[in-house]
Amino acid sequence: MGIQVQKISKKFGTYTALDHVDLQVPSGELVALLGPSGSGKTTLLRIIAGLETPDAGSIHFDGEETTQRKVRERQVGFVFQHYALFRHMTVFDNIAFGLTVKPKTERPDKARIRRRVNELLQLIQLDNMANRYPAQLSGGQRQRVALARALATEPKVLLLDEPFGALDAKVRQELRRWLRNLHDEIHVTSVFVTHDQEEALEVADRVVVMNQAKIEQVGTPEQVYDHPASPFVFSFLGHVNLFHCRSGDHPAGAIASPTRVEGRSIGYVRPGDIRISRSAATSEDYPAEIVFIQGAGALPRVELRRLDNGETVHADLPREKYRQLGLQIGEKVFIRPTNMRIFVPDYQI
Amino acid sequence: MVNIKQHRVLPGFGLAMGFTLLYLSLIVLIPLSSLLFKTASLSWADFWGTVASPRVLASFRLTFGAALVAALVNSVFGLLVAWVLVRYKIPGKRLIDALVDLPFALPTAVAGITLAGLYSSNGWIGRFIEPLGIKIAYTPLGIMVAMTFIGLPFVVRTVQPVLEDLEKELEEAAACLGANRRQTFMRIILPAVIPALLTGFSLAFARGIGEYGSVIFIAGNMPMVSEITPLLIITKLEQYDYAGATAIATVMLLFSFLILLSINLIQWRARRHAER
Repeated sequence: MGIQVQKISKKFGTYTALDHVDLQVPSGELVALLGPSGSGKTTLLRIIAGLETPDAGSIHFDGEETTQRKVRERQVGFVFQHYALFRHMTVFDNIAFGLTVKPKTERPDKARIRRRVNELLQLIQLDNMANRYPAQLSGGQRQRVALARALATEPKVLLLDEPFGALDAKVRQELRRWLRNLHDEIHVTSVFVTHDQEEALEVADRVVVMNQAKIEQVGTPEQVYDHPASPFVFSFLGHVNLFHCRSGDHPAGAIASPTRVEGRSIGYVRPGDIRISRSAATSEDYPAEIVFIQGAGALPRVELRRLDNGETVHADLPREKYRQLGLQIGEKVFIRPTNMRIFVPDYQI
Repeated sequence: MVNIKQHRVLPGFGLAMGFTLLYLSLIVLIPLSSLLFKTASLSWADFWGTVASPRVLASFRLTFGAALVAALVNSVFGLLVAWVLVRYKIPGKRLIDALVDLPFALPTAVAGITLAGLYSSNGWIGRFIEPLGIKIAYTPLGIMVAMTFIGLPFVVRTVQPVLEDLEKELEEAAACLGANRRQTFMRIILPAVIPALLTGFSLAFARGIGEYGSVIFIAGNMPMVSEITPLLIITKLEQYDYAGATAIATVMLLFSFLILLSINLIQWRARRHAER
């Protein structure tokens, strides 16, 4: 079931949460709404679910208008950041809830409900916990129960609001891989909200980057990471170095998408796209001094200060390269951006 | 063997426990046991003769019955008041919130006289109701009205914090899962507030049983019809029948204790899984 969001606007008092937002979610995809807090991503998700009513615009599920439809008639599964499990019910009853509240004519009989719940318990790998209460589960287990509960009624779309936000780092990692695998199995159209760019890039088929009530860019993880449409997207998806240069000053060969720039311009370079060498090979190399080295971790990080204008530059080196160079703090080296994007300066972050 | 001296993170267990026991003994247990001792001065036949006399039995029925009805009424409407106070933004909310506590603060006699005045045949409310054939003042109905009045804050004040704690997300989750409003209320909200509601109910009930000041003015105090047990005890005291008074009090105490204990047990069962 595809979701079409058309010109949705929403204000809370004088605060604009969404400003004429358009979005297409193709059927069967797993889409991430990514943005800083206050960017409107949760509001958009809640409007799709029907938990919030938009001031203007419409929501369609597969072309069928649902803007005025009540929450319980929309057939959406919703997973909350803080689980929202029913504390007085066992895991089994929580998952069965959506089936047991169906009108008598549509409600499956007891045996079928039992079978369905057991199926879901197996899916979330908690088959031996059916009779536990939410209070007896860990955070990760609770969120899986919440997910099973949302899936029990076979919703047309699955909406997840910061589903891993309340979990610790390791469980989060595991759970998002698990969610990805789960989605590959059941292929229900899913939208999840996150402020964690790593999570969005790792899990989603498509990433929607939002900022200040608007959508900045929609694309696959590779597209938004490698070809960010705006300085905001560039800096929100990972670390970035700013290279201030005068027009015509920037090394033409190193620019990913050459833009005609009038006057001063800013180049955006990822720390991984900076090459460090001991000698200047071309005139495009900038002299710099090493200020700090953080050698631990998968990618050793070097902090440098440009000698020509004093700007700080971060560079990530592959471990092998790092060992080979044997850099020392205080050493003078040359750096060269190997992949730079220029944005017009009035559009800066 | 239980090792009392084991290490605890919070210090002062021994002192706190000792103090608690001493305090409870001084304030609750000793007065109550003196009640029992006084009663014990009666022979079994005298005791039975006193507490099983028709007039006393009628007063028990009235007192416990009226308190039960009042507590039930308060549970329903107190829950409603608490719900409105928690969930809606209404003008003058603070004022309404403060009004709820008024029955706590008002001297009971003042409440009694006011209620009797309002519901008597020429009072503001009574003059409209009496033509309909409903007499409130000086009947058991009036007793229920008075007990309802004084019991309301108990239910509102115990349910209110629980409702404030109840995440809106639970209702949203239920709605997303297809539950209608009645199902959401019956299966999600009510089970969550039931322990607090029971506490409020039992407090209101207990207060109703023990209530004297606000009831006697509106009750009419006709033996066998509208005479509450506390009044009967006072009457006995005024006739210097101390043993008889304590005998009735003892039975009342026993009943109250049994009722509160069973409510506590129900509550314990309901609350077991309520922790996060």
